[in-house]
Amino acid sequence: MKLPMKKSLAPGLALGIALTALAACQRTGSMNGKTDADVKLTAYPERVYWGDTHLHTSNSVDAFAFGAKLGPEDALRFARGEEVTASGGLKAMLDRPLDFLVIADHSGGLGATQALYDAPSLFIRDPTLLRWHDTMHEGPQGRLKVTAELIDLAGRNALPAALNDPEGQKKRTTKIWTTHSSIVERYNEPGKFTAFIGFEYTLMPRGDNLHRVVMFRDGKERTDKVLPYDPGQGDTPVSQLWDYMDAYTKTTGGQVLAIPHNSNVSNGLMFEMVGPGGGPMTAAYARRRAAHEPLVEATQIKGDSEAHPFLSPNDEFADFGKAGWDIGNLTMQRLTTPDMQGGNYVREALKRGLAIEARTGVNPYKFGLIGSTDSHTGLATGDENNFFGKHSGVEPGAARASAPQNLGNTQGRFGWQYLAGGYAGVWARGNSRSALFDAMLRKETYATTGPRMTVRFFGGWDFGKDALKGDWVKAAYVAGVPMGGDLSGPKGAPKFIVSALKDPIGANLDRVQIVKGWIDAGGQLHEKIFNVVWSNPETRKLVGDRLTPVGDTVDIATASYKNTIGAPQLATVWADPEFNAGQKAFYYVRVLEIPTPRWVLFDVLRYKAKLLPGTRLKDQERAYTSPIWYHPKG
Amino acid sequence: MNLTERAKQIVREPLVHFLVAGALIFAVWGGGSDAADRSITVTEAQVRGLTEQWEAQWHRQPTPAEVDGLIRDLIKDEVYYREAVRMGLDTDDIIIRRRMRSKMEFLVAAQAENEMPSDAALQQWLDTNPRDYATAPALSFDQIYVGSDADAARRALAQLDKGANPATLAQSLSVPPKLDDALSGDIDRQFGDGFANAVGALPPGRWAGPVTSGFGQHLVRLRKLTPSAVPPLAGVRKAVENDWREANRVARENAAYQALLDGYTIRIAKP
Repeated sequence: MKLPMKKSLAPGLALGIALTALAACQRTGSMNGKTDADVKLTAYPERVYWGDTHLHTSNSVDAFAFGAKLGPEDALRFARGEEVTASGGLKAMLDRPLDFLVIADHSGGLGATQALYDAPSLFIRDPTLLRWHDTMHEGPQGRLKVTAELIDLAGRNALPAALNDPEGQKKRTTKIWTTHSSIVERYNEPGKFTAFIGFEYTLMPRGDNLHRVVMFRDGKERTDKVLPYDPGQGDTPVSQLWDYMDAYTKTTGGQVLAIPHNSNVSNGLMFEMVGPGGGPMTAAYARRRAAHEPLVEATQIKGDSEAHPFLSPNDEFADFGKAGWDIGNLTMQRLTTPDMQGGNYVREALKRGLAIEARTGVNPYKFGLIGSTDSHTGLATGDENNFFGKHSGVEPGAARASAPQNLGNTQGRFGWQYLAGGYAGVWARGNSRSALFDAMLRKETYATTGPRMTVRFFGGWDFGKDALKGDWVKAAYVAGVPMGGDLSGPKGAPKFIVSALKDPIGANLDRVQIVKGWIDAGGQLHEKIFNVVWSNPETRKLVGDRLTPVGDTVDIATASYKNTIGAPQLATVWADPEFNAGQKAFYYVRVLEIPTPRWVLFDVLRYKAKLLPGTRLKDQERAYTSPIWYHPKG
Repeated sequence: MNLTERAKQIVREPLVHFLVAGALIFAVWGGGSDAADRSITVTEAQVRGLTEQWEAQWHRQPTPAEVDGLIRDLIKDEVYYREAVRMGLDTDDIIIRRRMRSKMEFLVAAQAENEMPSDAALQQWLDTNPRDYATAPALSFDQIYVGSDADAARRALAQLDKGANPATLAQSLSVPPKLDDALSGDIDRQFGDGFANAVGALPPGRWAGPVTSGFGQHLVRLRKLTPSAVPPLAGVRKAVENDWREANRVARENAAYQALLDGYTIRIAKP
């Protein structure tokens, strides 16, 4: 009996992984045996679905090197609300499950570090790779060191050639990609939890961050026909990604979209006024960008990209998540100069879009907003009291808040400057790949910095007197357009309905603001922030455009706050008092919570962390909706 | 049970697979290059392997001189490997130790991943862990929001008992006033943790409360409560299989380790 065993097992040693992949392929189909078609869609979006479109697992080259042990399966279980053991050994669980997840591992070198780590050193010829292999095996510190070098060299276009070995990489990528899609299918449960197939496109010339998450509407039977697209190192045009997406759509009949993120560390390149090569952006190029990239990730662990005090000096809340992030690009290879700031932030991009549209007739930056984590731990955590770190080298502990935390070899950023997360809110008609994806194409989405507040935003001319009474949402869908929509005049000033409900287990709301951007007849761009409804109005008054602060109930010693200030719900119907029917404009909503403790205070409480002077201890967490655009007819 | 049956059973036992595989690793890694053996044979297959690797890296065929160089290097690896093992250099090397451990762990995991569970095994899993797959309780109820003051809420309830119109007592809050067959989890995600439980405990058919949500106080009229139930295997098969697979992998790993550990005598001296 032993002999046949040997025959079947001996190759298993060398080919164990191949067998695994094969077995995984046989187990396709969703978790509950349902397809999207089985999900009963509501007539209009009745509830917001929460998710993370940007999660890395140990399949990401840097995440593994940073010490992530959790693969896609753990990541999906965690997002669905189950308890898992984090890479550092702590038990981890979400307060509330998410409704959907996109695992977006880096396409570049997918699984390469894991392969390097697993390779017998006998076979590693490249001296750098051999040194990395050995250093990684020395433990967590060694892995951190290798990852810093890796990101740094990638930014300098100087990775060892052996790491880019195309044939080996293709085999590795195919295996990981198809095994991955099998796991995703297994955990996809239409109607209850949606697991999307996706990847991250990691373009980073000179360390300037031009990364995009690429997500598919389809299942494994289509996505296995392609490999995740890797731009390689150096400077290649983003249009090649769009070519890849077009090819996918053409050959498979499927759908795919791209979501830029971390414009804040792009050194002005994410939202340029010019086209590729530096000339004026053409209408054709603008059209392609808008068609392929309907959403932007406005906030995440590596800082917030909504607005910057330099660009918006009158915005007293624009400094959220800026410290440390606005001094240089992703790897800190190039420092950020003031002329670069305009291309780094979402609000400015929305304005620039109007200017480019005025010239070419097409707005390239007509995008909706979401937040996500970009966690590299396999754990999609978005809450301040449950922050598992940017990567597995900085899972909860005493040191991380005050330690230098850089994503390359150049110094400059510290642990406390990282944010605890971000989530995407999607107003869809059901919980399925197709329903959520289609809502994203409609831009009926909003970003939050972690809390799950419910935010509605409608624009139109025909809202009745009872715009906020009874079954008003249904009526608003009939009489107006939701966030992400368009209004065309001229019919006088449109009305906007905004309703914000606090996170049911979170902090009260301070205020709701409407941010307006517009272009005047002379082509000048403007912005203005209107406080439209706020808590405790009996004591808080507008002075000019400014509102009395809401107050502060944070207790530093216990990392807690009280909902004795603020309001559980803020809602109003608003019309722009400065409306000019001839000017193109956009309007989006920003909701602010009352101040709450940041994750660093929980580290002090739990691990007696010592904080550096200047560490930000509390913040007003927030939501940003997709805009509604106004176009004068003609 | 006759001898053949017992042999078959042993062969099916995953732990045996693991141990045999472990022995094979030793054979391949240790036996293939026996430290005591001082003859080295380079096979055609090995040379072909070296050549293919070269091609994969450099995208051209190696020249004959380069092939000879690769072979010389392979022999050098082998000689040094055997001498190093002979000198015991492998025993105190943390990298080698981790590498060997991860290979052993991988073997078990890969096997567990390949196994296809029987219906009986899944049914047993479902029977053992019914709560993990039970449908959530569903509730139908009407609610009005009456602000943050519990005393005011009780006064409002008294008015409802006297026949007041709920709509006149309700304050505006954009949560549904009426829910039909809503799952407890969906109720909690709209109203805050514990709300569904609290509503489920109310006397049905009349206005009651107040019940505290994340927003304040609510008065609630419970109309219908569908308790949780365990569905048949067919309805939750994939979920059960996912969990079975995960647990099986962990159990395999633990059992395999335990089997090896059992062969050892462990003494621990703590400072």
